[in-house]
Amino acid sequence: MDALATAVPLKRALAPEEAARGDFYALFARLLHNGPNDALLRAIAGAAPIPADGDPALAAAWRDFVDASSVMDADAALEEYELLFAGVGKAAVSLYAGYYSGAPSIDHPRVRIQADLAALGLAQRENVTEPEDHFAGLFDAMRVLVAGGAGRAPASLDEQRRFFRAHVEPGVSKFFAALARAKAANYYLKVAALGTAFFALESESFLLD
Amino acid sequence: MKTTQSTNRRNFLLAAGLGGAGVAAAVVTAGKTVKANPGGEAPPDPKATSYRASAHVLKYYKTTEV
Repeated sequence: MDALATAVPLKRALAPEEAARGDFYALFARLLHNGPNDALLRAIAGAAPIPADGDPALAAAWRDFVDASSVMDADAALEEYELLFAGVGKAAVSLYAGYYSGAPSIDHPRVRIQADLAALGLAQRENVTEPEDHFAGLFDAMRVLVAGGAGRAPASLDEQRRFFRAHVEPGVSKFFAALARAKAANYYLKVAALGTAFFALESESFLLD
Repeated sequence: MKTTQSTNRRNFLLAAGLGGAGVAAAVVTAGKTVKANPGGEAPPDPKATSYRASAHVLKYYKTTEV
């Protein structure tokens, strides 16, 4: 068969905990890019639990998030997303990291993010119109650094740590706290709790080499 | 020692429940925003051009003011 004769680049299997980190980043990027559609809600609803002997906050937040996804309607989720993040004139919750890290107009983080992405062999896709400090973009960049993709292998832990500490960590906990306080949040309260739990673990894990 | 530290980090993540997590079932393909940039082409030097906030950037930030 032709397929057997074709050279296929070998990919080193990712350790399961690193694959899970990549999946979490993909999930948060997707949920902050747009409201979940039916297929995503169904996929989440069918996901296995995080073991009860794991991090209690993460396990509980994941269970609540899975339960909420199983009863959530995609139209309602989209409406909630728009109420939270895309309000005309004033969004209830900003999706931009620079908003939470007190970004100055000169030397704004988006400029440094562009440079750091370029150094990592990455760039924003042409069809993406949001500034680079949109959390969906930052989480997607972290997904690629953790799990590989977009034409590159996973980044070293040092590279991941540098990008995380420079661009994600300064604003991410404030962002999820703001989301948790938002009056319009219902389904996204579960996302906020899951994000809070996951990024607490991320910050702590980056203290270890 | 590097190996010991790596093991510590791995143990930490595994003990937290990552690794056995069901997140993989929810992996999504939409929402990807970054692409390959193999040449590592650097953006324009911000210091040379000052900060160039395009119209759509300014619009986005306007919508995020609380």
